[in-house]
Amino acid sequence: MTLRALQPMKSSELAEWTLPVLCYVCEAANSREAEYCRRCSAPMALAHQALGQTARPKMVAILGPSGSGKTVYLGMLMDMLSRQPERLQIVARGAFSIGLQQTTVSALARCEFPAKTSTEPESWNWMHCEIHRKETVVASEPPSFLSRFARFTPRKQRTAVTNKSPCVELVMPDMAGEAILEEVEHPQTYLLVRSLLRNSSAVLLLLDASELSRGQRDPDFAAMKILSCLKELEIQGGAGRKSRRSVALVFTKADQVEGCRENPEGFADTYATGAWQYCRQGFRDYAFFAASVVGGCTWLEVRGEGRRRIPLRIEPHGIIEPFEWILEKLYPQGGP
Amino acid sequence: MNLMEKHQDKLRLATIILFCLLNIGFGLYAWQMPMLIGGAAGMVYAAVATAGVLHHSARPAEAPLTLSAPAIATEQPAAPNDTESLVRRMLTQSRHALLLRKQVVGNLHEDQFQETCEQLHAHMALVPEGDVVLGKTDKDAEDELGGLPSAMAERRMHVNPLFLDRYTVTNRQYYEFVDAGGYRDMTLWEPKLWAAVLDLVDQTGQPGPAFWQNGRYLPGTEDLPVVGVSWYEAQACARWMGKRLPTDAEWVKAACWPVATGEVAMVQRRFPWGDGLDRSRANLWGSGPNRIVAVTEFPTSASVGGIYQMVGNVWEWSANDFHLSPHQTYGGGDAPLKSIRGGAFDTYFDNQATCQFESGEYPLSRRHNIGFRCAIGTCDLVLDLPQGAPEDHANVELAECEAVHA
Repeated sequence: MTLRALQPMKSSELAEWTLPVLCYVCEAANSREAEYCRRCSAPMALAHQALGQTARPKMVAILGPSGSGKTVYLGMLMDMLSRQPERLQIVARGAFSIGLQQTTVSALARCEFPAKTSTEPESWNWMHCEIHRKETVVASEPPSFLSRFARFTPRKQRTAVTNKSPCVELVMPDMAGEAILEEVEHPQTYLLVRSLLRNSSAVLLLLDASELSRGQRDPDFAAMKILSCLKELEIQGGAGRKSRRSVALVFTKADQVEGCRENPEGFADTYATGAWQYCRQGFRDYAFFAASVVGGCTWLEVRGEGRRRIPLRIEPHGIIEPFEWILEKLYPQGGP
Repeated sequence: MNLMEKHQDKLRLATIILFCLLNIGFGLYAWQMPMLIGGAAGMVYAAVATAGVLHHSARPAEAPLTLSAPAIATEQPAAPNDTESLVRRMLTQSRHALLLRKQVVGNLHEDQFQETCEQLHAHMALVPEGDVVLGKTDKDAEDELGGLPSAMAERRMHVNPLFLDRYTVTNRQYYEFVDAGGYRDMTLWEPKLWAAVLDLVDQTGQPGPAFWQNGRYLPGTEDLPVVGVSWYEAQACARWMGKRLPTDAEWVKAACWPVATGEVAMVQRRFPWGDGLDRSRANLWGSGPNRIVAVTEFPTSASVGGIYQMVGNVWEWSANDFHLSPHQTYGGGDAPLKSIRGGAFDTYFDNQATCQFESGEYPLSRRHNIGFRCAIGTCDLVLDLPQGAPEDHANVELAECEAVHA
């Protein structure tokens, strides 16, 4: 699909339109008016936004099998950070970055889950956002005589000082779980997935804790495949070395599993043994988290629509922590 | 009563007569003094016992039946005639509603009655009789329901006057129930749940809410709402207090405080304090400390009737099953859910914290954010001290009233 707009007859501007624009994800050359990359189908808006920036935005891959809750997690993460900016302040870049947040939050507020993500890469939602981390530093000056009387204490000493770290930029796509596993099992099926797996700086790997606790091994196998692929793409021919890519393994739907929220690593050791071993042996930086968005679910029989699962209420827990950990790993000094 | 118990008096009499005859037989020989003494003692015992048996037999069959064993099995009961200390203990345990039951109230002196009434009004608020509309009543719902008047008429329910707890039940109050042996008294629990009661334990395996330790609440949490209790535990505790869980209609009426403006039309508040969500009045996601707070916090959350924290802090169990919309049914397979209302400290969306919003939870779930408050209909209480001769129901001993459950 191409953009069709009448251009003014100015030679300098027309010349600009002849220059190719590199896709932000796969770095293939595209014409300036392309909306999606002709090679991997990533939105070219990402490349246009990155053109005038000194620091290239980093990519964080949100991975996991189908139904693990990637869309809900990402949409809620954006909404929570924009509603409660005490620790992290997030600003979406471009209208397309707000679409996922809007559809997810609207659906959950109506006690519905958002529609399943299509396997067509062109319909995937992308998030390109600026993030400001706030660090609270308490003034360390020794207390003066006047400081005993709070009323006379200088304002600088009474209130905590808030430092704002430099802004960082992240790009996070919401990919279909089927497409991720298809590419992992059959390379070159989805070039966009392959490019993301290769170029992402960090990974949030989501697994359904309720399925694992019921003894289902499929999420564990899927995690092992994804981790294996990530390691191979990063270390070509370097067997035995650990990957430097940070991996946050997030057990979703943790509200349905007793003990998961309190001890996610113990849960991984018990129910996701394969993924746990793979993280230990293949990655230098990894951590386990438990998250949940929904407070309760039930099955609903709707006339003419069949049976579907609905959330009964929204009570998010553990959504921001994995993201904070990833940020800390990507920008240990606070900024680029 | 089995066969042995039925004829135990006759058996005992026969045994005594046989024992006496044997002793007399030995005594005739008179060469063993001890036997003579034994025989004499046996005859004396037989005479006394026979008199006792005859006395028992003379008891009228229609004598008033005693109630089942007292609910409190562990603590030392007050002296049989020490009504004062018994009333005092029950008031300490927030069991004022039990004392005002018509089967019990006749045992109270006037000052005890007054004190009990004062505690009732301090702990519970009166919700007047009237109608209430359940479900969404805003403009959006009109389209969903295909016309407000008919839909409202369908969902309009009448509520009889009742008392509703001003605060949700706290850890301290629930401890009284646990300490009094509430988890061992099977009369408080539905028979179908008896097998499951043994599994309702705290983190150390003691009977109690899911997040307690060693049968006690954690230090500093005494005034926090009790959470980690299933619907059945909430119901049992309410019964022990002489109360019950409120129905959906009762809960919504107390929170929305509806006013009828026509034959069908009603004006109902979205929140207990009005129509707008004032986040400073409720402990919800983003407006509180992101944890459960004491029941006395957020004092501006009061409803018109003076009931606190109906929105926010913890969800509250209702007596009813959870209802989906009229066009939807459960998909089968899952057990029926029980209704919960009011939102909790981690409720994210404003529209899920309104008085009308209803969520559901499995009755055996023991969630970190679900508590309860109790209700009792005014028709179940005596609010004026009966004058003149006590009625038949006043013959019930006060010590036995602890076993009177709703």
